[in-house]
Amino acid sequence: MNAFKRDKKEEEDGGGNPFQNMEKTTVLQEARTFNDTPVNPRKCAHILTKILYLINQGEQLGTTEATEAFFAMTKLFQSRDVVLRRLVYLGIKELSSVAEDVIIVTSSLTKDMTGKEDLYRAAAIRALCTITDGGMLAAIERYMKQAIVDKSPAVSSAALVSSLHLTSVSGDVARRWANEAQEALNSDNVMVQYHALGVLYQARKSDKHAVTKLVSKLTRTSLKSPYAACMLIRMACKLLDEDEGAGELYEFVESCLRHKSEMVVYEAAHALVNLGRSGSRELASPISVLQLFCGSPKPALRFAAVRTLNKMAMSHPAAVTACNLDLENLITDSNRSIATLAITTLLKTGAESSVDRLMKQIATFVSEISDEFKVVVVQAIRALCQKFPRKHAVLMNFLSAMLRDEGGLEYKAAIADTIIAVMEGNTEAKEAGLAHLCEFIEDCEHTSLAVRILHLLGQEGPTSKQPSRYIRFIYNRVILESASVRAAAVTALAHFAASCPPLLPNVLVLLSRCQLDSDDEVRDRAAYYCAILQQQNDPTLLPLIQPPLLSIPSLEGALRNYIRSSMDQPFDISQVPPAQTVEEPTQTEILSNIKQQPRLTREESFMEKLSQIPQLATVTRDCPLFKSSAVCELTESETEYNVKCVKHSFANHLILQFDCLNTLTDQLLEDVRVTVEPPEGYTLIGEIPCPRLAYNEPGTTYIVLEYPKDIQASVATIPTTLRFTARDCDPATGIPDAEQGYDDEYMLEDLEVTLADQMRGSAGRGLDFSAAWDAAAARGFSELEETFALGASVTTLEAAVRSLIGFLGLGAAELSDRVPSGTVGHTLLLGGVFRGGKQVLARARLALADEQVTMQLSVRSPDPDVAELITSSVG
Amino acid sequence: MGLFDRLTGLLGLKKKEVNVLVIGLNNSGKSTVINHFKREDDRCIDIVPTVGFNVEKFAFKNVGFTAFDMSGHDRYRSLWEHYYKDCQGIIFIIDSSDKLRLVVAKEELDMLLQHPDVAGRKIPILFLANKMDLPDSLTTVKLASGLGLDRIQNKPWHIRATNAVTGEGLQPAIEWLTDQIRDIYINKR
Repeated sequence: MNAFKRDKKEEEDGGGNPFQNMEKTTVLQEARTFNDTPVNPRKCAHILTKILYLINQGEQLGTTEATEAFFAMTKLFQSRDVVLRRLVYLGIKELSSVAEDVIIVTSSLTKDMTGKEDLYRAAAIRALCTITDGGMLAAIERYMKQAIVDKSPAVSSAALVSSLHLTSVSGDVARRWANEAQEALNSDNVMVQYHALGVLYQARKSDKHAVTKLVSKLTRTSLKSPYAACMLIRMACKLLDEDEGAGELYEFVESCLRHKSEMVVYEAAHALVNLGRSGSRELASPISVLQLFCGSPKPALRFAAVRTLNKMAMSHPAAVTACNLDLENLITDSNRSIATLAITTLLKTGAESSVDRLMKQIATFVSEISDEFKVVVVQAIRALCQKFPRKHAVLMNFLSAMLRDEGGLEYKAAIADTIIAVMEGNTEAKEAGLAHLCEFIEDCEHTSLAVRILHLLGQEGPTSKQPSRYIRFIYNRVILESASVRAAAVTALAHFAASCPPLLPNVLVLLSRCQLDSDDEVRDRAAYYCAILQQQNDPTLLPLIQPPLLSIPSLEGALRNYIRSSMDQPFDISQVPPAQTVEEPTQTEILSNIKQQPRLTREESFMEKLSQIPQLATVTRDCPLFKSSAVCELTESETEYNVKCVKHSFANHLILQFDCLNTLTDQLLEDVRVTVEPPEGYTLIGEIPCPRLAYNEPGTTYIVLEYPKDIQASVATIPTTLRFTARDCDPATGIPDAEQGYDDEYMLEDLEVTLADQMRGSAGRGLDFSAAWDAAAARGFSELEETFALGASVTTLEAAVRSLIGFLGLGAAELSDRVPSGTVGHTLLLGGVFRGGKQVLARARLALADEQVTMQLSVRSPDPDVAELITSSVG
Repeated sequence: MGLFDRLTGLLGLKKKEVNVLVIGLNNSGKSTVINHFKREDDRCIDIVPTVGFNVEKFAFKNVGFTAFDMSGHDRYRSLWEHYYKDCQGIIFIIDSSDKLRLVVAKEELDMLLQHPDVAGRKIPILFLANKMDLPDSLTTVKLASGLGLDRIQNKPWHIRATNAVTGEGLQPAIEWLTDQIRDIYINKR
């Protein structure tokens, strides 16, 4: 009796998936049954299902395995069993990308698609199109055209959708079959009409004029299919975005708000609110439609409406306020997704007073919604913190509660991001935020997040009121966590020791304990920090605790050069360009944690390119590329020839890279050079012409200049001319007609070599500016100080800071590039390296009075000429 | 196999199912030949070059044939071998007016005969010297010597001049194949 009971129970909950625990090899072995004659349809169908199941579970088949299974499967064509045949079609589609010679079933499929059995036809078309390559396309073209205009809607739809898929095989399929698609557009079937419109659009996609014609023709006839109408709205909106036929199309989209299908009405409303230019008057009617949908009994409509409103609340909060009453009704909706979106929308549009109430409401069900929506909530809170800084205590508590809940990495990372952002924006929130994060890492299963937070603690903790309280949290990590977290914790501890001398002895004890760690990296770090910290206090210590992130390939090159030299001078690390910091996407985007390819910095990729050119070897061999400027255009964009220039600065040389483009179809340029007149002090070392510049093929020519000895003369204007031998050629083939070309030249705009081209900003958060500034004075740097009144174009402090950073090419230290709003005075701290590795520190005191910015600029640099160049070029 | 099936099988009433492979160079008339074997109302009017293969079914003298009509295009000839294993008969069709490519046909035939799935088995091979109506077509004798058919020792073979368009010669040819298959596979069991 007992056994029987258990059996029954197992049947109830365990009998779910008969395909569990299947072995790929066994199933493929079973597939040999396909070769038996006569075919046993039931057995084969079961085996084929197993194969399909495995593939859809992500099982990878090797080419040989797949081919064998595929050919075995082709033998099933002899069976007339409908179910089996349709499974075979699925099998063909799945295996078509892996197996070889899948083309073998072409004739069998064409027979099925033109045959009498309607159940086969549509599926056969789809399978046929997955195995068709460019070469076979012509063979099936006739059948496809017939199928598109077939009277069976399933067949016609399948053919239309397949032809859309085939455009990836051969681009012009849609255009070649457009006549048939045009005929299918008149079909009575909703799907056929929709798919036909898709093909017609595909055919015209690249020709804007043709699209405009198609849309304006169709807007006058009313499409029967709501799907097609939705698509037409999207096409119209795309055109509206590009400002084509504005008035008429806009009226059409608006008229769709009164369409009888809800789908079309929603699409039109969604389109109207997303048209970037909508003013509040235009938004009124779509919003009233969405408002109506909010009260719909259909959850899908409610969801769509509230989701659109939620998005819109970001850009047009005022317009959404009209729906607040309806949204209030939705916060208790039984569908959690709708409720979440409604609440977060209200959070964005509502007043400060309602925040508490809404947060309480959302707290009741936050544990029940999926991570994706939790992230939406977190983002709403983040926006809220920016809007109502005074509410940070409530919101912070809420965030920390969320942090304690279960959740995936993406969700947790979003919360941590928000807390960090709140802390950055609001100094009052810093202590509380750090406390919450400390608590979080006590129990955090995501290594990457724990490492990030430990790093942040190391950065921010030492400057808090009571740094010692964080030590315990950090040291706990050293005891309890995995190796990479332990290593991060060790670094954080060292930060505390370096910045807070009172803590130094205690931390040293902890660090010496870490030297016994089982992991190499942790031990190495602990030993390194112990050694540095025991050398007692020195203001320049901090950069050693947090070494600047250097670009590793450049560092390697520089060290190699150093070993080759006589090594009588100490190695100068400031020559090495810093690694590119990847800007985190902020605000709405969720940080994706996909491992990124190790990217080369701009300088590294240029260096690689330059070092491959033998004529440039004299320059590139000895010295790493110091800085590459932004691209500057030397021509208007619509001219015959396009020339862009990138300035590559080395310690003593300047390489000008000219990227040229010939936009004339009937000309072939040869021996293309850009000639420059070297300004005073500059010496022309060499030029590398581009031997051949055909239509629309980019070519590059180089000029090598030596910087003048006198640094003052290095900021100069260089007149440039494009010279070449032009040969007329046949536009179609690109083969030149005339034997002899003629020399020609083309005036380009002047090229400016600026201060920023020779300067690399190297500050960032890590630099302790005041310590470095004082140390500079101690190390005998020369100092220059001057006062300027900035020009009339600069009317705010932000603009002054921005233009100064852009002009000098220095980097801002200690986040001093952020100007608090409403202040009239600001101090900008700048740091950087001049070419040749000369350190530069600058402090700019800015004052705003009557929309006029006055600046006192002090510059410290070991080389007086550099300091002078900076002050003189500002003036 | 159910009792009834076994009974009809014993009495020889049940239709036997066999697979035959139809091969030959492209444009030799394979699909046309198969088309002719089909029932009057199943036939298609225009025959286009086969890409890959087609499966066709027809019956003759109470034997159900499943014909794998392979493409003869040189690109797909290498795919024939996938179907050698489970066929009980082979129809090899030659364009008897195509003297130039007779050597190609011979080469393909030799490869077929040497293939491990075919070499040791006693499979009847029916050669159809198609397009006999054309003025410069070779006689079956010449074709047999040209293809070196006398070397085939372990398999029954038969060559017959046919015209697939009119159907001339096809009837006795398929009759031979049916008898052979019946002898080798069905009566033995």
